[in-house]
Amino acid sequence: MDTVLSGLATGFAVALDPFNLMLVMVGCFVGTLIGALPGLGPINGVAILLPIAYGLGFQPESALILLAGIYYGAEYGGRISSILLNVPGDAGAVMTTLDGNPMARAGQAGRALSLSAVASFIGGTFAVILMSLFAPALAGFAVTFGPADYVALMVFAFASLASLVGKSTVKTLLGATIGLMLATIGIDANTGVPRYTFGLPDILAGIDFLIVVVGLFGMAELLTLVEHQARGTLKSLPVDKSFVRMADLAATKWTIARSSVIGFFIGILPGTGASVASAVAYGTEKRISDKDGTFGTGDPRGLAAPEAANNAAAGGSMVPMLTLGIPGSGTTAILLGALLMFNIQPGPMMFAQRPEVAWGLVASMYIGNVALLVINLPLVGLFARMLTIPQHYLTPLIAILAFIGIYTIVGNPHDLFMITGLGVFGWFLRKLDFSLAPIILGFVLGGLFEDNLRRALSISGGDWSILLSNWKSLLLYGLALLVVLLPIWLGRRARAQAAREAATR
Amino acid sequence: MANRIFAAVLLVVTLGYAVIAFTAIKAPFQYDPLGPESWPRILSIVAILCLIVILWKPDDEAFDVTRKVWFRLTAAVAMLFGYAELYEPLGFILATILFGTILSAMLGAPLLRALGFGVAAGVAGWLLCVTLMDLNLPEGELIAPLFETHQQGES
Repeated sequence: MDTVLSGLATGFAVALDPFNLMLVMVGCFVGTLIGALPGLGPINGVAILLPIAYGLGFQPESALILLAGIYYGAEYGGRISSILLNVPGDAGAVMTTLDGNPMARAGQAGRALSLSAVASFIGGTFAVILMSLFAPALAGFAVTFGPADYVALMVFAFASLASLVGKSTVKTLLGATIGLMLATIGIDANTGVPRYTFGLPDILAGIDFLIVVVGLFGMAELLTLVEHQARGTLKSLPVDKSFVRMADLAATKWTIARSSVIGFFIGILPGTGASVASAVAYGTEKRISDKDGTFGTGDPRGLAAPEAANNAAAGGSMVPMLTLGIPGSGTTAILLGALLMFNIQPGPMMFAQRPEVAWGLVASMYIGNVALLVINLPLVGLFARMLTIPQHYLTPLIAILAFIGIYTIVGNPHDLFMITGLGVFGWFLRKLDFSLAPIILGFVLGGLFEDNLRRALSISGGDWSILLSNWKSLLLYGLALLVVLLPIWLGRRARAQAAREAATR
Repeated sequence: MANRIFAAVLLVVTLGYAVIAFTAIKAPFQYDPLGPESWPRILSIVAILCLIVILWKPDDEAFDVTRKVWFRLTAAVAMLFGYAELYEPLGFILATILFGTILSAMLGAPLLRALGFGVAAGVAGWLLCVTLMDLNLPEGELIAPLFETHQQGES
């Protein structure tokens, strides 16, 4: 407890520094704007703005605070386009449309927006509080991990990714492997041997993380927007004067509490972020409290549940990123890459070695949550105006921002071709139902995975049984197996039950 | 079908990756049990297994892209490559004006407004990024001499 309090004190000293405080505000504001843009989710927003934030040359903790603010703000802003347009910005906001949009159509847009803002605030704050209690303890435990345990941890991370993310397990696994393969390009750090560089000097140091992120997320998103352009214009519902009432909060308080818990713990699981959390929370809430069948027709509880859960998951997915160095979602994978660019190795030692970064980030999330609530309640009309920006201006703007960001880092036009090429590749992947998050996770974790495997085998002198020699790794392999088999088993059981019911009828 | 074609293309690439991993990568001397080639070998085997599964049992997903959309996408990609190609020679401002105008016009903005958008993006982007945030963007090989002669004329 003492470490938590003193850590928080350090953190708030960093986050309340006037410059950093301003960055939290700016990040939240810009993030909300981006999140509100139709079709542009948090992951794309963070991907496009990351190189620019890096190019500004701030201190690592300041840059990270700015990026976390953008991430947080975008999760917040996503609900605006879900509610008013019925177009979710990303997979995590899909559930919000189910009850949010019907409420707006019934002339209660203001009430829906303000209720979801409050639910997001509670979910987010709950997650940050749990995070500041859990993270140091988890980091303290993770210090005892050896290389073999890290290998097991990675296997667990990829197993939970493969079973929970995306439609097809094989495709998710292949995506992660593609990411890992991309990470092998460049000079091998242990022996100095170049791998897959084909003599090109531009990739001797490996493909730059920023290029992969901006290409796969920013540029692929742009091509998707171009593809969808033909589908006609979007119509935004007006924001009215209705506002959240105490009665709404009283009716949804248990919903919000349950969903926050669900969101946080699903967020912690490596690889699974807001999308899984909001779907599970909505499903659970529907089973528990949908007695009159009002879910899906504009029930406030159906709106509060996914909103509380996806903001709680955004906080929860920070926990494995900060304490283990294993990101909990695609967006935190990008933040992890950002930390690596500043030469900070996230992981158990980060709370001890760079407390100003780790705790500064945690404290900025407390402040960010409050700032978002304060910004969002009165300014929601302004953000809603963003929805009316025509797509034909938005699309070129994404390219212009991406080019500025990539060019300012090294000033090499070769990189501009690389992001466009990766964008085309990413568009094909998306079109064929691959999710892109596993690729970025594989890319970010590739070096760490390989290093730990090689180190473990160096310790044992080439004996592979070291990977199974310790209870921690065995436990992690057990969990990995469980996380893969459980959904299959549950699916079988549900299908068998359905078949039995059909038979008896 | 689209799944099979994509998987087949990836399989060719992965086989190339595997051949390099199994034959070409070697450390001149090494003390560790796993050299630089072991990890790529493991990865290539996993990837090939995944691809075989996809080729064996592809999802029956329809690839609903009409000819018109293909045309649009190809044009957009061509514009992006053109933008990248002209970024340094023309400089940020001119290249952005050109790219912003053409792409927004293609996506359905009225011509004059598209031009307005392009000019605004180019000029405002330059002012914001270079003048205000001090980022590094290309002046352009065509324009830089103009700037210089202008400055020389002043001094």
